[in-house]
Amino acid sequence: MSTSERRVWIRALVVALVLALVSVGCGSSEDTGAGDDTATDSGETADTSSDESEAAEEEPADAGDEATAGEAGAIKVFLIPSPSAEAIKSFADEFTADTGIAVTFEEVPYGEAHQKQLLAYEQGNGAYDVAQFDNTFLAAFGAAGVMTPLDDYLAASAEYDIDDFSVGQQDYGKYEGQTLGLTLSTEPMIQWYRTDIYEELGLEPATTWEEYYSNAQAVEDAGLGDGQIVGFGPNVSWWWMTLVWSFGGEVYDDSLQPQVNSPEAIAATEYLKSLLDVSPEGAVSASGDDVTNKFISQDIGAMIQYSGYYGVTLDPESNKYPGLLGTAPMPQGSADITHLAGWNIGIPADSANKDQAWQFLEFVLGKSNAKAYLESGAAAIGRKSITGDAELTAEQPYLLQLNIPESSRIERYPQLKVWPEMDVAIVQHVSDIMTGASSVEDGLNDLQSTLEPILAAENG
Amino acid sequence: MTSTPSRSMTTARRRSLTSLVLTLPAWLMIVVLIMVPIAVGFYLSLRNERIGGFVPPQYVGFENYRSEIANKVFWEAALTTVKIMIIGLVIQLPIGVGLALLLHQSLRGTRLFRSVLLIPMLLTPVAVGLMWRFMYDGDLGVINWLLETVGLGRIQWLGDDLAALFAVVLVDSWQSIPFVMLLTLAGLAGMSTSPLEAAKVDGAGPWQLFWYVILPMLRPVLGVILIIRIIDTYKLFDAIFILTRGGPGTATQTLGILNYNTGFNFLATSRAAAIGIALTAITIPLYFLWAQAARIEP
Repeated sequence: MSTSERRVWIRALVVALVLALVSVGCGSSEDTGAGDDTATDSGETADTSSDESEAAEEEPADAGDEATAGEAGAIKVFLIPSPSAEAIKSFADEFTADTGIAVTFEEVPYGEAHQKQLLAYEQGNGAYDVAQFDNTFLAAFGAAGVMTPLDDYLAASAEYDIDDFSVGQQDYGKYEGQTLGLTLSTEPMIQWYRTDIYEELGLEPATTWEEYYSNAQAVEDAGLGDGQIVGFGPNVSWWWMTLVWSFGGEVYDDSLQPQVNSPEAIAATEYLKSLLDVSPEGAVSASGDDVTNKFISQDIGAMIQYSGYYGVTLDPESNKYPGLLGTAPMPQGSADITHLAGWNIGIPADSANKDQAWQFLEFVLGKSNAKAYLESGAAAIGRKSITGDAELTAEQPYLLQLNIPESSRIERYPQLKVWPEMDVAIVQHVSDIMTGASSVEDGLNDLQSTLEPILAAENG
Repeated sequence: MTSTPSRSMTTARRRSLTSLVLTLPAWLMIVVLIMVPIAVGFYLSLRNERIGGFVPPQYVGFENYRSEIANKVFWEAALTTVKIMIIGLVIQLPIGVGLALLLHQSLRGTRLFRSVLLIPMLLTPVAVGLMWRFMYDGDLGVINWLLETVGLGRIQWLGDDLAALFAVVLVDSWQSIPFVMLLTLAGLAGMSTSPLEAAKVDGAGPWQLFWYVILPMLRPVLGVILIIRIIDTYKLFDAIFILTRGGPGTATQTLGILNYNTGFNFLATSRAAAIGIALTAITIPLYFLWAQAARIEP
């Protein structure tokens, strides 16, 4: 090899090495999770403002093996990658051994999951016998009549025992009075706080929003960190709607007229904006996942966040404060509400194996396996038998927050087909208010005008 | 004697047939991968299809186009796209050309720098977006840390309208400058040295050389770069999606992001197709400009 050829080879090797290092660098930065939306997969809470972990999710779906039909038939289960999906899969072998029904799984990332389901249901050829879906799609599925009502199955099932859920939670999978999905995870918006900081300052978890703000102010005044965190970025609708409901307002009324510039909504938005003063600076652009990642990696007194993120806090590599995170019910405003989110799972109407599908759901999500299901890593389901289990609650104190009192009105994401458009409109306008691009009143008036045609299209 | 013309005709026909057969795979690819999707997209844009609509879609003519034209959000997105394009070009062209002129000199280490400077262009936009998102983080990001270290205040890169727009342009520029540099370098390498030498003999200084000799000779290359970068900006999606999702508010919502939201978030397939066709229509004249620029003789 001549000297010049050798030089060329050496240069090529250097470039390849640099490229490899850069690629590894990028890869590891994706893995840190700090500010990375992939944390959604660790927490259960679905990102409803179109999935933000799109890029990270674009890994090939686990198509599962094509199982041969068991003695009693076979079912195909559609799952969305999440700890709940992993837990469901872990029961498959036992179920097949017990019943002779073979189970195959198809996993599709959140970003494409509902589109794929809708296309499959439009074709109506029974592609899936069981399907996991986000509660925000319950209305779309319900309006299209693509899910099987489960009420008859529920009424006859002592094993599932619907009475093991509080009254409000029994309705979580209901659309126009029919249960179209079982609860696959119970994720109320709750208050999280740093026990060490609160103890040092003699603070108690807040019961009202005024207390929540003053606690946050106290943490800042003491120089122990930022007062609190909520997300003002691409998922600001999570917190904004929670506050609107809590301040006694509503996003729209029974006749689908938006109510976002009501005095209650204005007060809620002003409060949300005031929280910027006691938040880390980066909260202004923080997504839902960023909020949790910041809370477990920076000194922040408190956080309002879905309980489904509990799983993220268990990861010792991301949580800098293990054992120092307490949970409490969300502070209350003039209305006693609980903002409830979480997955549903149901039986598509075009399934040819509905009874076998129900057997599977009953087996995995029934009362007998409820504890094993939780212990297999799934986000908790708010069964009374789980939230009232002293042993479990001693291990995972946050489970107590899933025991939603019957006095608290449960609010869910709007059960409307046009919710994705509403969500984008809310995020864009509230975000403008938070960054100061528009005043609270102007921003909400604009939002009101934007939502009018969107809501009008619901019945169009 | 009489057989000569017919033989030459047969030969010509055979050649033409051979050319057709040889180019057929390319034509097939163009038809299947470009023409058919555009045609289907156009057909879709004339209907009111919606994923999960569960009602038979109907022909609605140009209604989707009319509603998008009347939609304030569409024009805001178009304006944002143009803003990103103009600011981007103002940054990318001078820096890219400047680097190319520097690297064209036979200085020590030039070849190493040339290789290193190309790296951003080789990375996937999603990875680049994620990397920059960490760097832009308001609390933990390295950029704010650096700003604080030198005594400047923090900037909420992704939480302020203007800063977010600039943040997006910066990431796009970081990835695109090597492209501008590479093409300019190619232009410089192919340039005749005689005019330069003649200008030097006539006593032209470095600035005069650049302004009156090099730049006019680079004009065709710069034209191509300009058109390609404009088309690229229209397509810009990945980095914005990862960095800001079009926010805060709609500050960085480009036509690409609007198209994505309409199609995959709102599931309004036909409306999204109309936006897509509009985007295609905007870029077609740019293609002809590009073709013209590529033909210009220096």
